[in-house]
Amino acid sequence: MKKLTAISIFLLSLMQFSCDDDFLVTTDPTRVGSELFYKDQKQVEQALNGVYGQLQGITNTAYIFQEFTSDNTTLDFNPVDRGGAAGWEAFEFSTVNSGNGEISNLWNNYYSALYNINFALEKLSGSTTIDDAAKAPLEGQLKFMRAYYYFNLVQYFGDVVLVTTTLSKPDAAFALLRSPQAEVEAQIEKDLKEAIAGLPDKYNAANAGRVTKGAALSLLGKFYLTQKKYAEAVTTLKQVLPLGYALNLNYADNFDPAKKNGVESIFEVQYQGGNDLGEQSNFMYVFAPRLSGGSITGFANVTPSGRNIPTRDLIAAYETGDVRKDISLKEGYTNAKGEWVPTPFVNKYRHAHTLSGRTDNNWPILRFADVLLMLAEALNEQSGPTEEAHGYLNQVRSRAKLPEVRGLDKNIFRQKVLQERRVELAFENHRWFDLKRTKTPAELAQFMNAYAAKEKANPTVDRGGVIYSTLDYVYEPHEHVFPIPAPQILINEKLSQNQGY
Amino acid sequence: MKDYLQSKLRHLLLLQLFLSFAAGAWAQNIAVTGRVTDDKGEGLPGVTLLLKGTTNGTTTDPSGNYSLNLPSGAGTLVVSFIGYATQEVPVNNRSNINITLAGDAKALEEVVVVGYGTQRKRDITAAVSNISMEDIGEVPASNVTRLIQGQAPGVAVKQKNGTPGSQFEVRVRGISSLGAGSNPLYVIDGFPVGTSVGQNLNPNEIESITILKDAASTAIYGARGSNGVVLITTKSAKEGKVNLSFSADYGIQNIPDSRKVTVLNGPEFAQFKKEAFIDRYRYVNNGKEPALEEIPLGFRFPEQTKYSTNWYDAILNKNAPYADYNLTLSNGKGPVKSVLALGYFKEEGTIIETNYDRISARANLTGEVNKFITVGLNLNGTYSRQRLANTDGRSAVVGSTLIMDPREPIYDDQGNLRPYIVGQDGVFGFPNPVFMLKNINRKRNIADVLSNAYVDITLLKGLKFRTAANAKVTFNNYNEYVPSTIGLPVQQGASGAPPRIATAFEDMVQTYNLSADQLLTYQPELGAEHHLDFMLGYTAQKETARALSGSANTFPDDLVPYLGAGSIRSAGSSEAGWTLLAYLSRVNYSFKDRYLFSASMRREGSSRFGTENKYGNFPAVSVGWRLSEESFMPKYAWLSDLKLRASWGKTGNNDIGNYSHLAFMNASNYILGNAFAPGKVVSQFANSELRWEKSNQLDLGLDLSLLENKIVFTAEIYRKLTNDMLLPIAIPAVSGFTSSLANIGEVENKGVELGLNFNTRIGQVNFRTSPNITFNRNKILAIKGENDMLWFGGFYGGYNVQKVGRPIGMIYGYRKLGIFNTQAEIDAAPKQDGAIPGSMKFWDADGNGVISYDTKDMVEIGNPNPSFTWGWNFSADYKKFDLSVLFMGAQNYDVYRNIEASTMNIDGVFNVLDKVKDRWRSPENPGSNPNHKNSQGGTVDWKWSRESSGRYVYDASHIWVKNVTLGYALPRFKSYIPDTRIFLNASNLFLITNYPGNNPDASIRGGNELNNDDESYPVPRTFSLGARINF
Repeated sequence: MKKLTAISIFLLSLMQFSCDDDFLVTTDPTRVGSELFYKDQKQVEQALNGVYGQLQGITNTAYIFQEFTSDNTTLDFNPVDRGGAAGWEAFEFSTVNSGNGEISNLWNNYYSALYNINFALEKLSGSTTIDDAAKAPLEGQLKFMRAYYYFNLVQYFGDVVLVTTTLSKPDAAFALLRSPQAEVEAQIEKDLKEAIAGLPDKYNAANAGRVTKGAALSLLGKFYLTQKKYAEAVTTLKQVLPLGYALNLNYADNFDPAKKNGVESIFEVQYQGGNDLGEQSNFMYVFAPRLSGGSITGFANVTPSGRNIPTRDLIAAYETGDVRKDISLKEGYTNAKGEWVPTPFVNKYRHAHTLSGRTDNNWPILRFADVLLMLAEALNEQSGPTEEAHGYLNQVRSRAKLPEVRGLDKNIFRQKVLQERRVELAFENHRWFDLKRTKTPAELAQFMNAYAAKEKANPTVDRGGVIYSTLDYVYEPHEHVFPIPAPQILINEKLSQNQGY
Repeated sequence: MKDYLQSKLRHLLLLQLFLSFAAGAWAQNIAVTGRVTDDKGEGLPGVTLLLKGTTNGTTTDPSGNYSLNLPSGAGTLVVSFIGYATQEVPVNNRSNINITLAGDAKALEEVVVVGYGTQRKRDITAAVSNISMEDIGEVPASNVTRLIQGQAPGVAVKQKNGTPGSQFEVRVRGISSLGAGSNPLYVIDGFPVGTSVGQNLNPNEIESITILKDAASTAIYGARGSNGVVLITTKSAKEGKVNLSFSADYGIQNIPDSRKVTVLNGPEFAQFKKEAFIDRYRYVNNGKEPALEEIPLGFRFPEQTKYSTNWYDAILNKNAPYADYNLTLSNGKGPVKSVLALGYFKEEGTIIETNYDRISARANLTGEVNKFITVGLNLNGTYSRQRLANTDGRSAVVGSTLIMDPREPIYDDQGNLRPYIVGQDGVFGFPNPVFMLKNINRKRNIADVLSNAYVDITLLKGLKFRTAANAKVTFNNYNEYVPSTIGLPVQQGASGAPPRIATAFEDMVQTYNLSADQLLTYQPELGAEHHLDFMLGYTAQKETARALSGSANTFPDDLVPYLGAGSIRSAGSSEAGWTLLAYLSRVNYSFKDRYLFSASMRREGSSRFGTENKYGNFPAVSVGWRLSEESFMPKYAWLSDLKLRASWGKTGNNDIGNYSHLAFMNASNYILGNAFAPGKVVSQFANSELRWEKSNQLDLGLDLSLLENKIVFTAEIYRKLTNDMLLPIAIPAVSGFTSSLANIGEVENKGVELGLNFNTRIGQVNFRTSPNITFNRNKILAIKGENDMLWFGGFYGGYNVQKVGRPIGMIYGYRKLGIFNTQAEIDAAPKQDGAIPGSMKFWDADGNGVISYDTKDMVEIGNPNPSFTWGWNFSADYKKFDLSVLFMGAQNYDVYRNIEASTMNIDGVFNVLDKVKDRWRSPENPGSNPNHKNSQGGTVDWKWSRESSGRYVYDASHIWVKNVTLGYALPRFKSYIPDTRIFLNASNLFLITNYPGNNPDASIRGGNELNNDDESYPVPRTFSLGARINF
């Protein structure tokens, strides 16, 4: 019995087994908890890097909404694979409806990026460990990014939801509705002004690629131009001139991965190829014609996507002698069998690279040439085609080895600047916004229908016998903005939809 | 006088002695021998035979023979044995008495394993299905889930694909969750191993399986019990018996022609391409016919097609063998009882170059240390290997054989396998599937060690304490090498041909699962009328999984298929785990065997839940009333038992990710200064309130036994309400995230289960049959939050939608009304932009006159939940022969046959099904049945043919002739020849269905995206021959 008691006591004592409440608290050892993050400057800088990182994802598909929708590019039609018809192809054929998956992704990606910007800004302003001198450039960069995203959003959708603080619980999101465009624009202006105040003119080589004061000024100038506030646009853009930017002598240097972040570059989205870091770009592979295989990319075992194909309309728009044409696009290629295939393609982002599918090309968002042309446009609208305005336009033309223009009247000058922007900034995601800025919705629809008629009559790429649907290439005025994604309206019925969708 | 008396006494004593000696001599003279058997004729060892009124007795030997010396030919032998009715047999001067013992009518003494203990079958008040391996018989099974098929009402077991060694999907009483998993909890010898039983448990080591279905039985498992619990008990030694048995089973598997998908052969495909070309030409050129020279040479003369390849057949193993060997030694004598089992299973898959083999060893030991202490140890080690292939989906090995060009040969002129078939005439190019199977190396090896150990101490009379420790360690290693010779499926002209960049991948996951239970049970002695037992317990469990993985690409050649040889390499490692602890208690009480009561409570805490809701309480109560014992019930001879029972309980589901309530940072990197700049972004909202998914279940049951258990009938009716469902609800993207996990939503499952067991004896034939049928209806009652519908799937691949008021997983798409014959019909109908004669006509659901090219006009087109599922077992034995047949089926449910979007794609880029010959070609030639629900529109244009629509929904109601086993017990001429039984088995013998695919249970998507068939590993038919020898 003694033995028994001893054993039972011993065993009962085994019951004192991890009765600790800590036993139930586990965390994922492979990741950092968000409430533990943002503690010091280094961590906030990582958060800022994270915000920049999201810019890469957004830029990768930005061409669909900013270039592809316009008369600059079309697609290499695939008669056998119609899987993309309901998605990205709809942007070319103006058949975008609210169920479009690409619009949904666009919306989600932007607001995810805005969340992280807002979160980082809140942590920064509340931080006691980081001193104000270090805070200013960090806040400046974040505010620029926020303004950039909202500027794109209002141009895409018109009225959008304005979020400048983070939510603690997901339920609060249902109260967020679309604010009038003017409210959002006021926020953009505020953010950019504050960014300008805090950002440096330049960074050292180790920080090349960050947002500079010049970038904030250029974006603010573009913003004023879009709002038709020409006087403000001129004063703002002129502040960019003394910051040390200049046109590259060689147009091709703007896109050469060996000459990134050069003297003409105001803001570029950074990428890096040739390694396994996952930071590569692959625009060349997306833009090369579908059946070109290795003829354009240099790697045989690939299937390029054939998107963003230069239209006949654009090719014809280049004046004779324009050096930019050959650098920007090619009118065909020689395939593996030695045959000439007359499918044009974007050449700007095509450079040699070491690993298949991983190019080193950055994507230009703001260039000094853009600033010069904006100045020309703003001056013209404000006070007519002055000497000064002509001067800026001609700077860009000279670089392209084109003859200068003189003594044009206001309307013709306006058209000339628009045309110059088209060829100077081709395939850099400016065309759609340029068209929206310079035309009313009705004019835009008329303009695009005229382009459509030309394209239908003489398609840039053969459609392999597949006929157009009746709704293809029919532009209506309400389509100057995109529809709010249907899933968002399904989730929050109070969210309004754009007229016509 | 004294002397006289003394001497008389002496005489008497002597006489008595003499007589007793004489009697003894006579007793030694009347030898009685015989054999005691059961009603099947099997010898019963250990039976006690006693001369009534004496202590003169013996027990039978292992064969049931006995030998006894009786004093006289008079007297009665009392023959008794546990589980059998005691018999009194008069000797009647016989020297050879054979006795047959009948099963005890009160064999409801039978004990059933339930959660954390056992219970007498007669006392059970909960819904529990007990399956004994003897009932199942010889079923060729590589996985234990195969054994449960068709055996228990309320338990639906689906074989999603025929991959060798893989588990089947088990659902107990329907799908009750939209967000958390729906698998039941598997418990092996009291150790809850998780929601997957794995591939490494040898089915031959199992003695019985009990499935706990209602809340009263599963609440004791708390937050893991809401999907039911499968209790697996491995073999233990039978008291007093020593047994060595060996079984060998050898079989072949193949796909019968009736279950193969038929596509066009070479000449037929050329003919089809020609017709498609002519139809398109006519359409574009306004009715003009093409000249013969305008038809591409590749199919201008179909009858001259050089090759005709049946790709599907080419990847099948004509007769894939399998073998299953098991050796079991069970020793039930002495203080240490043991079962030692060794097993080896090897199977070639029905698709070539796939296989599975497994070797397993088990030792189950129990020992009595002394009167108070018993110890037990189960130790099992298993190692399995699998050679796999990528078989799911239309571009994988199985799907691609249906859509590849049949005019292409498998081998080239020199007889070598062609690695890649380049597309001709617009047909997609594909890698040769036979080449892929032979050259892509995908292997998975799993090593498992499972151990249970316990010490039972009887502290006082009726008070027992058990401490148990369980451990499971698994090493799961996967490696894969895809050589540079494997191309990609691509459209013609695009480059998919090899050489491509070779890739290698390998990972190793080590999982440690440890649990400890302390259980205290008390069973006071309260007399014959009261039966009471209490249980108090504490359990803690922890699982950790550590993974290491590596990948590499760009190899110089394919000679060294290991990570080290690749030029670009990357590696990763991770760790994840969970913990739980719980306090449990239970009380069972029965009064006069008439009134039964049981209650349990479990308080459980889990690491998976938010800080505000870490613990949950799971109570349950059940009652039973044995009407047949009531005095007011007339005592009918035919009524053996009538019991009514009711139960209610609360269980939970914790099968969401390990860290879902926390918010983490994800990597989002950039380049600054031309150098890597690491960055982080937030991954999701934290939700500190995240809590259990709760299930309330009410169950009413009836157990009826008639004619001394010849007929046993069970009926259940239940209603299970699951609320606080863990769902990723879509939240407005303006919050920064598109979804967040929250506890919302409510699902109801209600149903009826009926089971019958009938056995009888007709002449010399013993006959048994047991049908069961289950009706389950599920309905989504609420999805809180701002949306009432959750859409899963794709525009071109079928949608499954969760909608309030409807069952889970409803199939959505356009409703097909027919086929447009003429342009006039198109003009008269709601606007379908791009429709031409031959296009399918869809219904305008929102009535706005336009069929919009998105989900606005999509409606319910199919219900993947069957009206009922059933199983029916017949078995008979006659002398030495026995036969058993199992039927099972499901009725009235739909499957979205996604593969037909490819195999009936008449653009000419893929091969097509045989039935394409009957497609619509023109108004004059619309095919034999254009108004059939699944008819194919013929269309020159691609639009309105592959969008999710009712055209792809098929009724998959089916009846399986699942198992047929014929067995024969070899006669024993001599006693040293062992007991041998040979058997023939046919498995998956016939499938009676209108479903056009190989497997009406196929589905490649997981979760609640039900019944989407895009082709996967086909399910074979198996024939086998085996023998079981008992020494």
